[in-house]
Amino acid sequence: MRKLYVISAVFFAVLGIVFTILPLGTIAFLPIGITLVLSSLAIYQSKFNQQKLPKIILFISVLTFLVVIGKVIFVKDVVVSDKQFEQIKVESKKEDVKDLEGL
Amino acid sequence: MKKTALLICFIFTFGFGFSQIKSNEKLVYTASYNMSGLMTQLAQVTMNTETIKTSKKTFLHLSWEASTFSKWDNFFKIRDSYETYVDPVTLKPSLYKRNIYEGGYSKTEKYIFSANGKSINSTTKKRNRPETKKAFAVGGATRDIISMIYKLRTINFSQFKSGQSASFIIVFDEKEYPVYVKYMGIETVSAGVLGRKQCFKLSIAAKTDKLKGKDKNLIWITADAAKVPVLIRFSIPVGTGQLLLSNASGI
Repeated sequence: MRKLYVISAVFFAVLGIVFTILPLGTIAFLPIGITLVLSSLAIYQSKFNQQKLPKIILFISVLTFLVVIGKVIFVKDVVVSDKQFEQIKVESKKEDVKDLEGL
Repeated sequence: MKKTALLICFIFTFGFGFSQIKSNEKLVYTASYNMSGLMTQLAQVTMNTETIKTSKKTFLHLSWEASTFSKWDNFFKIRDSYETYVDPVTLKPSLYKRNIYEGGYSKTEKYIFSANGKSINSTTKKRNRPETKKAFAVGGATRDIISMIYKLRTINFSQFKSGQSASFIIVFDEKEYPVYVKYMGIETVSAGVLGRKQCFKLSIAAKTDKLKGKDKNLIWITADAAKVPVLIRFSIPVGTGQLLLSNASGI
């Protein structure tokens, strides 16, 4: 049972890291939450000398949890000005007026 | 025959409507996509109106722009632009343009409608492919998707009974599609920046595989003179999402 908890916790921890890197917002809490539960269960089921790996996984999940909270609070949803897109729009509008003159 | 029936239906339903669309109106939406049951904010969609004058005519320029938030740009950048130049009163399109960039895929389309609206000269260019030109016939009431959305706002839904439908014919990807708009009654919804608003609930259906489900593509427009679309829910083959009004000016 301990092995199953550890393997599952590693899997969800990796998933949690990927979700934290990607801009998926609070969805990352899903794998992170599962990792927290599984790694805690793994620690509970482990003998003292077997607790190193589950503790590392628990630490990673707490860390990713804090990173996601930080991203939610500090990273705002903004659209950056895209010079190329703006330039295309300006040129397109000039072309449109020419086309409309011909109608 | 079916198209003719739709056309007649369209003319009788909307043919005598007048434009309520103001120039210099700007509506900004936050587009969210449903991921594992949670809405993730993905992009900003802006709807703009502007008056454009040429030496002979005045047009209303209607545009829709979609841009992914900067945090998404490195993963899947979207810069889409849909615009149309319409008659300010009838909202009949003269020129329609679509310029899309979605995660490396790009496509541009330009449709020039003939004066009677019965034919279109199109110019299309897909990424890495040569530009193609085509002329094709359409029904006189056929319009583009953007002018259809704005035309929708000129309809007096307060005279509609729940379940009553209106129909349009739109041209998209050089093909005509009938679009049905079903009035589903009045609902009070959270209208983003406008607070809670009483709205007309409308269901959009089209004979295309781009929209999924029955009554899964919905628009709520304010039940007032401005008829502002405040909430749009969509269901497409790759998932579901919504657009919620986040800013409005000139309404």
